[in-house]
Order: sequence, then structure tokens, then C-alpha cells
Amino acid sequence: MPVETRVFPIRERSHAIVAASQSRRFALAAGLSARRAMEMAIVVSELASNIVKHGVRGEIRITHDPATPPDGEIVVAASDVGPPIRDLQLAMTDGYDDQGPIDPALVLRRGGLGTGLGAVARLADRLEYREEKEGKTLTARFFLR
Amino acid sequence: MSMSESEDPHVIVTSERLQSVIEALSYASVDEFDSCLSLLERSGELKDEFSELETAFSIFVRELGEAKSELNRTLAQQESINRELEAKLETIEMQQAAIRELSTPIIEVWGGVLCLPVVGIVDSQRSAEMTETLLETIVAKQARMAIVDITGIDVMDTKTADHFIKMARAVRLLGAECIISGINPGIAQTLTHIGVDLTGIRTLRSLRDALQLHLRETEQLVVHQHSQLARKLTAES
Repeated sequence: MPVETRVFPIRERSHAIVAASQSRRFALAAGLSARRAMEMAIVVSELASNIVKHGVRGEIRITHDPATPPDGEIVVAASDVGPPIRDLQLAMTDGYDDQGPIDPALVLRRGGLGTGLGAVARLADRLEYREEKEGKTLTARFFLR
Repeated sequence: MSMSESEDPHVIVTSERLQSVIEALSYASVDEFDSCLSLLERSGELKDEFSELETAFSIFVRELGEAKSELNRTLAQQESINRELEAKLETIEMQQAAIRELSTPIIEVWGGVLCLPVVGIVDSQRSAEMTETLLETIVAKQARMAIVDITGIDVMDTKTADHFIKMARAVRLLGAECIISGINPGIAQTLTHIGVDLTGIRTLRSLRDALQLHLRETEQLVVHQHSQLARKLTAES
């Protein structure tokens, strides 16, 4: 069975919304349940929003790999050219970014709740982080059961 | 091959040569212009009257060949333009679908009562935006009640759900009532899981129920006011 991939360039908010919306369809077509597909869409939405907010620009690459044991997986890779995440554990804590607690006023100014990465960690089956030559990649995995 | 003097209006041509020309034309009819032209050239090496015909054919075929090439070029360009257009149409469709999912219109169903129907993907960003817009609108419209309908939302991250409840509490801080309608089992589970305090926040099964409830209460209020007024008038008379 072939591996299917879709790539969404992300530069502004509308791109993030399209990516999330389309990723839900992708997930359903790949065989995820309605609920799980929505959870994946939320993850894509959060990752894409972060690219817009902090990553300058980047892309979301969604791949359905049916060969990953046991029943295949969907891989969501969010890459951007922005600054690295210095402390992932800290960044994943709600209300924190990679440098420590976020001032509520700053959270307000940035939009969002300061909980995006935490949501990604909660909803995905696995989350990986990798620094690139220019930027970084966050990879979230969704296992098909 | 042999030519007589101008008195004889006939031209003599070998059938071989004639066949050659016919073959050349059949090449041209299937767009093999190069083969056609080389055949005509060979045949036309003899400079006699018939070769004028062959030359005329050559020119004609050459021009036909060029015209066809031009046409093919134009067709290819057109095809590439069509492909571009199709890609753009696809983008528009995708964006429209996304806009439908994103839009959270705040509807003033009647004086002082706002309705916020939530559809699609709710992430932390959207939740934050919704809150800001709702609170602003409550102030701007002096609303007494906000009905947030989340029928159809079956998944939210726990922190987003938590914020949702905070939004409802913020509505109350502004002096308006907040009703959340359409909480389904999935969301109910999430809310229980995070242990939210729902005091002061009414929840109803559907948007319809919420609107009916408000109507009833408003009616009761009006009835109450009427009866108060009636009593007052009776007392005074």
C-alpha cells in the first residue's frame, strides 16, 4: 500500500485553518475515528498556529504510513524556520513557554492561551522534537488501531 | 518525363512519380510533415512542369506544418493555464470550507440576548478569540444573556475546555447570564475530568431549550410585572 502525504505551507493564520480543516478529512480517509480525527485536527491547528506565531514560516507535512506496526500511523510533522525550543518540558507546561511562565498579559497579546504545546502532547500518541539546520521540527504521531 | 512542345497541353508523368506525390500527401495527412517534404523534394528534382505542382505542394505542406506547430503550442499553453485555474479553484474550495469551520458569528437573537453557535475545530487560539469577541459584544450590545451553543463539538483539549468555562464565568462578571447548550458526552467527560466548577453556569441540552427557557423566564417576568402593576393600580383606586 502506498504512503500518502499532503504538505501545507504555513505562513499566516488562514493557512493554519486550511491545514487543520483538511487534516481532519485526511485522518478520516485514513481510517481514524471521528473523535480521533478531530483530535488530530486540533493538534494540526495548534502546531500551525505556533508556526504562525513563533516560527516565522514553515510547513505541516501529514503522512499516512500504513506499514508502521501494528496497524499503521499518521505522522504530522510541523517544521519552521523560527528559533529552537530551549526547554521542551517547560514549553509543554500550560501557561509556560520555553523560558518559563508566561505573563498573562503577554499570553493575551500573543493570542491563544499558552496551552498549545500542552494540548499537542496530550492529544497525540507521541510527540518528538528535532532541531534542524535552520529551524526545528515537531512531529506528532497518531496510531491507527 | 518526356516533354512535348507547348502545342501539346498534356504533361506526361510516370505513375511512379505520381505515386510518390500521393504517398507524400498521405504522410501530410497524418502530420508527418518531414517525411512528406523529403518525398516531394526527391520527386521534384526534375525541373519540369509537373515539378511546379510538387513545389506548390511543398510550400503548402510546409505552411501547414508550421500552423499545426503553432496550434499545438497554443493548446499546451491553454492546458497549463487550465491546470493553474483548477489548482486555484481547489484552493478557494478548501479555504471556504475552512472559513465555514472558523466563523463564529455572534447573533443577537433578540434584544439583549446573544447566541454564539460554535462549529468546527476549537483549539486554544480559537477559544481565546471567541472569548474576546463575546465579551466585547456583550459590552457593546449591553446583552443580558449569552447562549453558547456547542452542539457538534465533541472534542476539546482539556485546557481549552477549561478556558471555555472561564469564558462563561467572565460573562457573568460582566453581569450577563451565560447558558451553555449542546454539551455532548465527549465534552461532558472532558469537563468532569478536569473537575470544573459549573456553579452559576446553566447548561441545557440544546439551543432550542435554551431559547425556550429564556422566553419562559421573560414571559414570567412580564407577567410578574403586569400583576405587580395591576395590584398597584387596584390598591390606588
